[in-house]
Amino acid sequence: MTGTGSLEEARELLREFPVADGHNDLPWALRQQVRYDLGARDIATDQSAHLHTDLARLHAGGVGAQFWSVYVPSDSAFLPGAVPATLEQIDCVRQLIDRYPSRLRSALTAADMEAARAEGRIASLMGAEGGHSIDNSLATLRALYALGVRYMTLTHNDNIAWADSATDEPAVGGLSAFGRAVVREMNREGMLVDLSHVAATTMRDALDASAAPVIFSHSSSRAVCDHPRNIPDDVLERLPANGGVAMVTFVPKFVLQAAVDWTAAADENMRAHGLHHLDTTPEAMRVHREFEERNPRPVATVATVADHLDHMREVAGVDHLGIGGDYDGTAFTPDGLNDVSGYPNLIAELLDRGWSRTDLAKLTWRNAVRVLGAAEDVARDLKSRTGPSNATLEQLDG
Amino acid sequence: MADLQDELQATAEAGRLDAPAKRKPKPSHRFGAAEPVAPPDGTAERGTADAARAPEAAGRLADPEGAEQSDGLEEAHAFLADHPVADGYSGLPWVLRHLPWYDLELGESGVDTDVPRMREGHIGALFWSLHLSEPLTGDRAVGATLEQLDLVHKAVHAHPAGLRLVRTASEVTDAHNCGRVAILLGPAGAPALGDSLAILRALHALGLKALTLAGVSWASEAGLSRFGEEVVREMNRVGVLADLSGAGEQTIRRTLAVSRAPVLCTRSAAHALRPHPANLTDDLLAALGEAHGLCMVPLTAEQTGPSVRDVADHLDHVRSIAGPKSVGLSGTYDSGAAHPEDLTDASCYPHLVAELLHRGWSHDDLALLTWGNVQRVLRSADFTARAARDRREASTARIADLDG
Repeated sequence: MTGTGSLEEARELLREFPVADGHNDLPWALRQQVRYDLGARDIATDQSAHLHTDLARLHAGGVGAQFWSVYVPSDSAFLPGAVPATLEQIDCVRQLIDRYPSRLRSALTAADMEAARAEGRIASLMGAEGGHSIDNSLATLRALYALGVRYMTLTHNDNIAWADSATDEPAVGGLSAFGRAVVREMNREGMLVDLSHVAATTMRDALDASAAPVIFSHSSSRAVCDHPRNIPDDVLERLPANGGVAMVTFVPKFVLQAAVDWTAAADENMRAHGLHHLDTTPEAMRVHREFEERNPRPVATVATVADHLDHMREVAGVDHLGIGGDYDGTAFTPDGLNDVSGYPNLIAELLDRGWSRTDLAKLTWRNAVRVLGAAEDVARDLKSRTGPSNATLEQLDG
Repeated sequence: MADLQDELQATAEAGRLDAPAKRKPKPSHRFGAAEPVAPPDGTAERGTADAARAPEAAGRLADPEGAEQSDGLEEAHAFLADHPVADGYSGLPWVLRHLPWYDLELGESGVDTDVPRMREGHIGALFWSLHLSEPLTGDRAVGATLEQLDLVHKAVHAHPAGLRLVRTASEVTDAHNCGRVAILLGPAGAPALGDSLAILRALHALGLKALTLAGVSWASEAGLSRFGEEVVREMNRVGVLADLSGAGEQTIRRTLAVSRAPVLCTRSAAHALRPHPANLTDDLLAALGEAHGLCMVPLTAEQTGPSVRDVADHLDHVRSIAGPKSVGLSGTYDSGAAHPEDLTDASCYPHLVAELLHRGWSHDDLALLTWGNVQRVLRSADFTARAARDRREASTARIADLDG
């Protein structure tokens, strides 16, 4: 059990090296709940009834930088609107930054992140969650970069034409030729390649193709908990050579084996009743409630997440770890990490496990800043040698 | 420094303006005294003047280049060196989409615009249209517009010594002082917004300065819908100019009423002289002048006529109806349109200015026409946006809520 002393030390540590979190879905939550009416979900006030995130809890959690996800769905029903909706998500982040200038600061570079830390503001970056957001267009990729997007997850839950997702049937077998061109263009712009959500084959292909360090904006260890959303050890082992950062996520159904099994059983139960497993109609919710009454939901804890970090440190090394909570992107959270105010509990747990202050500073802040700076260096080099690519999916993948 | 330059420009604008009655009568015509002298600001007789114009043009062609003409051109060059052209419309981006190898330093005969010819034509600022030639709607128009924006960024980046992308009046002045052609992004077509104010703001963040209010449900022949009015207010807030060339009359009138910033008509001439659908009736020209908007006369045969003097007639007419502060120039090169003789590419502005000098346009009026009016409109839009942003939050209005 975490002692009060550790928690105090954790908070003090976070004041110096705050959390740079890789993934928060506040923009999508604001779109779904209030259609971007930021006054109706004023995060300067307590939003704990509606959201995992508000400014006071970010402060309590010691958050100093946040990659805000500009996620839009990747299912076929939504796809034609993916690019316009991504622009709306980007606008949402920009409006948040405009609305709370004393607490949030736009960050486009590693230097901006450090400047925000010095000012005590939260460096606000953007990450696009899925290659569907560029609609197979390298020009659109560059437009997203110009608007401030600093990472793109190559896929979300569904395959796209040029990359396989972890949670879909293998089709491309990793990255296609156009997919590799996307990675190179991201390198050239200075946009981080994010390998959360992608198939292990795509992770390996992207590590082969990328000239810059990659990130996993919200993924944990597959050796600790066998779920396709997590990172296999052979991929973690490649991070030291690549320079990348794996940001551990808290989502119980990815990090706790009992929760993985429980979710699979719950989904199976839905299908047995002739329902889709993501159905939220009253009938579906009733079926799910009955299942949950018979089978109590397993609860992850701070220790569950720390177990992942211990293993990932063993395999990848402490210079290649980070944190990506996925707040407001997941229905359930571990005990002790219930919202964005919970990070000190995780740091306290790691202090109790003997992590040094130096290692913790890397985990929370330094690795994330380093990886963005490294992407900038690679971009400067590539831009001096090559022009922007206008390769098309048709040209490269036939 | 930029602001100081603006002040100097503003002073020039505020200078004495020739009243139409005081305009010097045109002396002998530079192409031969036998040709009829165009009345300085006649309106009623213009409708029938086109028929009589063809033989005039032929007569002028037959004339050898006389000393008088080159004198006029020299004066025009000298004038334009001090007062460059701010050109309201170029179709170059769409052309570049299909000529990815095109080099703006070297040029090519099939394209009307390149950096050397822009310099020869004294073009100091140029709106690069993001209109899509293929009729794309909804979500596809948004993506295609992003691609056009990327292409423009790429083209400007590839010619740092010739071109500079700018967003504000001050940046236009800075670019000009540095010897660069200031490139302004727009107009884009209204479908580029995908019916979303958030996308308007995103496009503005990427540099968009003007949007043509036509071709969508909220800005049609029926006028502006409630959502359309909200679009105009949000354009005012962020600093995107409304372009009303090709917009329906109801849309034009409603936009003039709603907009707090001056509007542009990036490609409109005088309907009284040539009844083209995008040309403005005298009624609308007068309304535009009252609203301090800007009618940018296109150098196209279709909208203005086949000769330099046809274009000058339109400029005379627009100046007399809308006023000298509401008339501007729009080369409309590389848009697929045919151009009047002697105005066939971006290098030809001195021919037009020589004609206007010849007609007795004062230097003050000419300076407003070529440069000052666009500077004023850009500056007003910037000012309106700054003021509006303090009063209004970003609009989250949705078309489904306002237009049902």
